[in-house]
Amino acid sequence: MDLITSVISLGFVAQVLRLMTPFYLGASAANFSERGGVINISVEGFMNLSAFSFAVISILTGNITAGFILAVLINLLFSIVFGYFTVSLKINQIVTGVGFNLFIAGLTKFLLVYIFSSSSNTPRFEGLPEFTLFSSIPFFGLFLTDYITLFCFLLIFISAYILFKTRFGLRLRSAGENPAAGESLGIKIRNYRYYGILICGFLSAMAGIWMASNQNSYSDGMIAGRGYIALAAMIIGKWKPVNIFFACLMFSAFEAFEISLQITGSDIPSQLIQMLPYFITILVLIGFIGKTKPPAADGVPY
Amino acid sequence: MNKKTLVNLISVTLSVLITVLIVFVFLLILGKDPFEIFGMIFSEVFADGYGIGQTLFKATPLIFISCGLAVCFHASLFNIGAEGQLNAGSFVIALTALKLDFLPVPLVTISSLIFGFIVSGFFGLIPAYIKIKKDVSEVITTIMMNFVILALVNYFLLDFFAVQSTMRTEKINEELMFLKISDVLPFFDGSTLNSSFILAILAAVLTYLFIYKTGFGYKLRSVGFNELASKYLGIRTNGVILISFFIGAGITAFAGMNYIFGYKGFYEFGFSNNIGFTAIAVTLLAKNNPIGIIFSSLLFAILDYGGLSVNQLIPKELMLVVQGIIILSLLAVDKIVSNYFKEKLI
Amino acid sequence: MNILFGIHKPDSGYLKVFGTEVSFKSPLDAIENNIGMVHQHFMLIDDFTVLENVILGDEITKSKGLSIDFKKAGIVLNEIIDKYDLGLDVNKLISEISIGQQQKVEILKLLYRRSEILIFDEPTAVLSPVEVEHFFKIIDSFKADGKTIIFITHKLNEVKHISDRISVLRKGKLVYESDNSNELNISDLSKAIVGDINDIQNSEKRNASVKNVEALKLDDISLTVNEVKILNSLDLTLMKGEIHGICGVEGNGQSELVDVIYGLQKNFEGNYEKLIPGGISLVPDDRKRKGFIKEFNIGENISLKGANLNFLPSKKINKISEKIISDNDVRVSDLESPMSELSGGNQQKVIFARETETDKNIGSNKSDAEENNILLLVHPTRGVDINATSFIHSKIIEQRNAGKAVLLISSDLDELISLSDRLSVLYKGEILKTFNRNEFSRFIKSDSEIEPETDQNLY
Repeated sequence: MDLITSVISLGFVAQVLRLMTPFYLGASAANFSERGGVINISVEGFMNLSAFSFAVISILTGNITAGFILAVLINLLFSIVFGYFTVSLKINQIVTGVGFNLFIAGLTKFLLVYIFSSSSNTPRFEGLPEFTLFSSIPFFGLFLTDYITLFCFLLIFISAYILFKTRFGLRLRSAGENPAAGESLGIKIRNYRYYGILICGFLSAMAGIWMASNQNSYSDGMIAGRGYIALAAMIIGKWKPVNIFFACLMFSAFEAFEISLQITGSDIPSQLIQMLPYFITILVLIGFIGKTKPPAADGVPY
Repeated sequence: MNKKTLVNLISVTLSVLITVLIVFVFLLILGKDPFEIFGMIFSEVFADGYGIGQTLFKATPLIFISCGLAVCFHASLFNIGAEGQLNAGSFVIALTALKLDFLPVPLVTISSLIFGFIVSGFFGLIPAYIKIKKDVSEVITTIMMNFVILALVNYFLLDFFAVQSTMRTEKINEELMFLKISDVLPFFDGSTLNSSFILAILAAVLTYLFIYKTGFGYKLRSVGFNELASKYLGIRTNGVILISFFIGAGITAFAGMNYIFGYKGFYEFGFSNNIGFTAIAVTLLAKNNPIGIIFSSLLFAILDYGGLSVNQLIPKELMLVVQGIIILSLLAVDKIVSNYFKEKLI
Repeated sequence: MNILFGIHKPDSGYLKVFGTEVSFKSPLDAIENNIGMVHQHFMLIDDFTVLENVILGDEITKSKGLSIDFKKAGIVLNEIIDKYDLGLDVNKLISEISIGQQQKVEILKLLYRRSEILIFDEPTAVLSPVEVEHFFKIIDSFKADGKTIIFITHKLNEVKHISDRISVLRKGKLVYESDNSNELNISDLSKAIVGDINDIQNSEKRNASVKNVEALKLDDISLTVNEVKILNSLDLTLMKGEIHGICGVEGNGQSELVDVIYGLQKNFEGNYEKLIPGGISLVPDDRKRKGFIKEFNIGENISLKGANLNFLPSKKINKISEKIISDNDVRVSDLESPMSELSGGNQQKVIFARETETDKNIGSNKSDAEENNILLLVHPTRGVDINATSFIHSKIIEQRNAGKAVLLISSDLDELISLSDRLSVLYKGEILKTFNRNEFSRFIKSDSEIEPETDQNLY
């Protein structure tokens, strides 16, 4: 099979849509945090943490539901600590993010070896049940194969609705745009920042769980920068749910293309495809491709 | 000793103590004897010259990178791109040493280091330029640059320079290898400690003088503390940001010196093993002070090397957890201590 | 006003609203008591629509209480907008509308929350004459609705035009109160505002030998920032050995004027000429943000300025600190204390010393001609205690007498009148009028009527 035919197929498109799941979940996670004014560069770490805890708990208990629920809870717990650092103690958000990434990377590496005596991966496990409702429908059946992917597509509308149509969203955004103005109208800015971080923890848990479930195991380094790509997608998507979707689509297309390259053995260097998401993000930041502007009080402790 | 130094010392000491406490509890929960484990670490490290030598060897690249980061951090430039920068620089150091080996040895060494410095520094100039021209935070650009640089290095290495079916360059000329300390001091027998370590200490001292005693260092810190006031003081702040980022990123290249000239003789992709991120923790723990960096690098190196000795009792990756806890407890303790002293003393 | 709006708490005394005693812990309490305030600096979110800004914190939601009923909120707001003729489009972003309209959004916020007491802090400072007229119409309709309006301003004609009762506050005291009627004596009012000026500061004679040497000339300078015209064909000449005062309400281009002269703002049109050698010194307006590095100690802050030294050993720095401390009577517990530990007055003394000390004293070897001969002072005594103030004032005179050209921008009229040799009025980026010392000193002392065209500008 040559590269061209592999890329212009329905299967390729479905592949792109499926691979988008962790990107979009991660990007939405970061977006909720940043809309509330907290830069969370540890989305990478949070995805890693939930992938790990989901796989490990599912394997140890033999119960995927327990794995799912506990993975979410652990992420929420870490989110509260992250919130305590960045919102309550007002520690620099970037430094805190780097700290959490280091800590989580260390913790998962250690526990992986400690529990499974392997420095690379867990045994295989079953993963989340398949979503079969659409499986007979052409095309949609190809990528809407699990509940999280389904949720991910619904999330495009849900997050847009929450952010722009609800009281909660309005207040959350005021925390990210001009906390002093919000506070002067009686809004408890700090609480809203915590809410944003907690939503971030939840959504990044979904992303991590999907990763582990999709691979039917956890392996060290499996997130492989997807959390950072998610941040990039959020920036390119200008902090808007629908735009972020298109940015994620572009990045998952790169990934699918890279897989096709490997399968077809094409001589286009795969490293150059790998770096494209990051390279494009830099170009966008410089302003070569459209303008992008974060929430005004993003990253400013309040 | 002035008050600031005192407060810093208190918070660093406190956070290390808290880390030890947390790790003790963690080990007890896992059913291990914390005293046995910590005892083994220290006896492994300090038992003989080999242990000490290996620890100093592991501290060497950390000192270099952290000094570079300290320069950036003092100018309030949060450079998270050391991992990429140091790989680009180290790769170029090895390439230069390979391609220029017709020159006399000292010349090859010096030009390799200079080219490495310039290339690493160049990759620091990019985020600095974007920051001053487009007002884009260096944090995001350096994160993205890490991936771009690593992909580029990987591409050029594998497609043009690598030894067949490996991830490394060819070996450099044996004459170029640095002196092993054990050749002079048999005490360190068997360890890979080399003269890079001495250069690292020198770099720390020079960085200290540069930051705290030179006119440019004052300007750099002034910009870091208050960019607007610096502008009003007549400092060309954009120039300071560019130069600081260039120098800071440039120094990270020397991490490769230890590996290439002091140990293996080639550049290997993945040799850095995220040390660019560990160095962030080292630098923060040292409060951006290059002399402090020597000590915090040693602490991290003790954990790193000592971890190997306890591997049969508990996975050595435990030390990564310890490093993570140190950095998080430092951040929290720092804030709490400084809030406390502001209320009491000022 | 900050007490009334719950931002600060009074040390003593009480506050009564509609007959009941209240104590405000936060602005929220004030809002609940139907008090609303339009700050000089708006509290608006640029990226929100007018509607979102107004309803934030008090949203109209659909029956389930989750999602906002934008339709209903729009109807409610448009009712208010129509009633008071505010002329706002509720769906526009704040970043898309003019400053005058933004002010109306702030007013709409108060009306939406049913405020009965409305406080305006210098509301007309940002408005064009047409907008001011419209603003007064709105105020009149509030009055007709039985609302109470507190209107803080510097402009006499506006006070006369709009108020029913006038109070003058000076240094935290109520010094004058009167009904606004035809018999109101403007000169009494202006006297109450200005107070008694002790004309002792500038009693020393100017050094005649340097008189009439032009030091700096600004000719037809215009500056536009973010499509707003800040400086408008401004002409200004600074003379050697002269203190040139600039008065006017803040935000009329003062800081931009300084940035242009100091060289930080280069995107201006017009002609800028420096006619004498040497550099320019500046004591900036916002001490904490622009004046010094708070983490550095005195000597380090001094050395930073034009440090042409490559190495700065602590000994040398401490020597500089010692000299500054003894020459300027700076109170400091420890030679190496960071600037943040000094009081405002002492900080200002250090900044002043840094900008005026001859460089020789701090270890450089410039010739006299290279010394800074132009001195820009912006609010040099703001937030500074009385002793430091008089010290700085005497230093300003000293600098003038040494032949420097001094530009003094201040909002303290006492300071301007007692120190200036010439005084210009800056309004909307333009120098409206320049007075010689004999003109404005007579104007303060005499009881004669103030010229109607100047009263607006000179408070």
